[in-house]
Amino acid sequence: MERIGAVLHQQLVCYRLQLRVLSTSLFDGLLAVFFPLMFATAALLVYRIKGDPEAMQYAGLGAAIMGMWTCQGVIASSLLTRERWAGTLELLVAAPTPLSRVLVPITMALSTIGLYCVVATILWERWVFGLRLEIASWPLFVLSVLMAALTLALFGFFLSVTAVRYRTSWSLGAALEYPGWLLCGFLVPVELLPDWIHPLSWSIPTTWAMAAVRESANGGSPWADLARCAAIGLAYAVLASYLGRRLVDSARRNATLALT
Amino acid sequence: MSAVQAVDLKRTFRTRTGLLRRTAKDVEAVRGVSFRIEPGELFGLLGPNGAGKTTTIKMLITLLLPTGGSASVLGHDVVDDVREVRRRIGYVFGGDRGLYERLSAYDNLRYFSELYGVAPREQKARIGELLELVGLTGRERERVEGYSRGMRQRLHIARGLLHDPAVLFLDEPSIGIDPVGARELRATIGLLKEQGKTVLLTTHYMFEADELCDRIAVIRSGEIVAEGTPTELKQRVPGGRVLEVETYGVPEATVASVGEVGGVRSVAMEERGQQQVLILQCEPDAEVTQGVLARLGGVRVGRVVSREPTLEDAYVELVTRA
Amino acid sequence: MTSLRIFFIGGLMSYRAMFGWLNPWILVPSLVVSPICQILLFAFIGRSAGVGDDEFYVIGNALNYAAIPCLFAMGATIGGEREGHTLGVVLTTPARRIPLFLGRALPVIVNGWGVAMVGVLAGVLLLDVHVPGPAWPTILLVVMVASASCTGLGLAMGAVALRVRETAVLGNVVFCVLLVFCGVNIAVADLPGWMGAVGGWLPMTHAIEAARLLADGSTLGDVGGLVLRELGVGALYTVAGLSLLRWFEDESRRKATLDRN
Repeated sequence: MERIGAVLHQQLVCYRLQLRVLSTSLFDGLLAVFFPLMFATAALLVYRIKGDPEAMQYAGLGAAIMGMWTCQGVIASSLLTRERWAGTLELLVAAPTPLSRVLVPITMALSTIGLYCVVATILWERWVFGLRLEIASWPLFVLSVLMAALTLALFGFFLSVTAVRYRTSWSLGAALEYPGWLLCGFLVPVELLPDWIHPLSWSIPTTWAMAAVRESANGGSPWADLARCAAIGLAYAVLASYLGRRLVDSARRNATLALT
Repeated sequence: MSAVQAVDLKRTFRTRTGLLRRTAKDVEAVRGVSFRIEPGELFGLLGPNGAGKTTTIKMLITLLLPTGGSASVLGHDVVDDVREVRRRIGYVFGGDRGLYERLSAYDNLRYFSELYGVAPREQKARIGELLELVGLTGRERERVEGYSRGMRQRLHIARGLLHDPAVLFLDEPSIGIDPVGARELRATIGLLKEQGKTVLLTTHYMFEADELCDRIAVIRSGEIVAEGTPTELKQRVPGGRVLEVETYGVPEATVASVGEVGGVRSVAMEERGQQQVLILQCEPDAEVTQGVLARLGGVRVGRVVSREPTLEDAYVELVTRA
Repeated sequence: MTSLRIFFIGGLMSYRAMFGWLNPWILVPSLVVSPICQILLFAFIGRSAGVGDDEFYVIGNALNYAAIPCLFAMGATIGGEREGHTLGVVLTTPARRIPLFLGRALPVIVNGWGVAMVGVLAGVLLLDVHVPGPAWPTILLVVMVASASCTGLGLAMGAVALRVRETAVLGNVVFCVLLVFCGVNIAVADLPGWMGAVGGWLPMTHAIEAARLLADGSTLGDVGGLVLRELGVGALYTVAGLSLLRWFEDESRRKATLDRN
């Protein structure tokens, strides 16, 4: 029992400190949402021309999760690279705590950033466009958003493990931003995209999370989408932890952890 | 039981060059290094850049697998008993990386105390103690990005000591620190020794090794070429005394002729501003000063100093010997 | 003659020295893949919302994306001097300032033009866009004008960046402002009045409108007024940027403001 308490304490402290690393100042925080917010603004301006409230609800919901994709996904995909540049990756690996327990609080901190982006976007939509989102079921809506944040953190972590070996992987995060906006059905329905792209959309957990968010806001049942989202997110988590272990092993064999 | 033991430790790297036709080349970074460090000892690993110091340390702290030989820390094998080794060692490297810039010193230490499993109740006292030890008390709430190099380095040491490890690995901790900072750092390392820690220190500053280390191993191109106490190493210089002669505008030919004086083994010239200092390695009992001054003839001569060989003389001798 | 060499050769060299993106791993994702994605995104948003046609979004976003090299590369060639501590060295040379800084603009303009044209071509290949043959030369010209006037803004931004230091942040903010205010995805007439008024004083706005008209069959004569206004706006920012640089240099000689870190 005491052991569980100790682990929980450790996770909580690490979460708080990691959140502090990710969000240093109010200025940085505002800036992080600024970019997706301006794109959302441009998209909402396009949708507004027809003056259809249903279309505005569609775009408003999409813009909120789009902000999450950018803030959270982009930070997550460069996570290990940043640790590597800072010289702290080696220390994390050399600590006696298993790497997975180092990473869980980081994932949670990332999800928190994602949730902040959603809230910021929804407030912006209300203030600037006077757009009040109609949410049929708040509990389901919140659950869907949480699922979106969690699976996106896992997906981002998977990308981060894959990318850490490449020196220019910081540009990968930025390069993934736009394709995600196109693929995940934020502002453009997936069905509108060419058929051959659909599998690509379906392989990203955020696509399903987006669908679940829309369902719960519009009064439908989000459970099927949530289940798919969770399953895919979990698959990425398993893959990421396997790749992570391989990465550490190969680093011990080939000395690739330090960046000097 | 030794605190650290390395037996014929080897490490080969495979580097690939070329984009299309990849040709692999094996580079032997460490080729059969053996040594023992007893508990409480401060052991120095001395060598030029690229000699294999860091590679050796990385194998000992479990971050790198040896390609040959074996090593153990406090009886735990560094390849198989990874977690046991990691619990008992601290690792500090030089330079200003390895800290979370955006966190305060206190938060950096808190984060790593969690990762090293320091009990929550003890953390506060432990961190306070370490900040005191490395002289950062009062600055701990500031973000690390505003720290000087010396402060970062001392914070690194505090980080390495959080879990009170029995063995500490310090990899070139004094690199790039100003003389005052370096002196403070040496004082801190001295304190660790008094506390009974086993320390493995790598450096290429001679006086640092001379002042701190109980025993030194000199490593060159991945091999240990000499091992012993600083005094023993100094005695290995084949020539009892060193004569230094300050000159102004000495011609090459004259330098060569100085080398022919009886009792002078070798002569080297070092430029120091406008001076050229001749460094002569002499036979133990030979009286060479008069002969040398005679050869210098009309050259303007400054101070002439006869001194004991330093560790640096021994070191230069060891690492330059073909 | 010296000034000419400073303009052409010096400009190209400092562009290569300062613009850290000249590496295929960064260049292709950021200057080829990203603009195409932005074009596709808004073209599909337009289809989904039932507003406008593909050509509208292709031209708007292709030109808008030219702003990325214009702002970032120009900002980096000037603002980067400060990070590299080379500004002091550059300013102690006797080189004349106008060719020195304008020379840096030339490779940037070509870069911006290339990015925009890649966007237009991608739109033609991937989407339902037809640009009539005779319109191409005039569009090439208008895109060049847009790129030049945007580089003027980049010069002004680079000058500001010498003092505020956050070149990348500044670049992103300005890019987003252009995206929303310049009629990139919404015709200026459909924007709220004050936003349209702001757009009139920004580079890109007139060039985008002119390029759309050309693609629809207008002649260069029809859009001459727009092109001139675009050039005028660009010149305004260029002059502002050069004066700022001048002022910073003078002020720095008095108070050493540019050497501080």
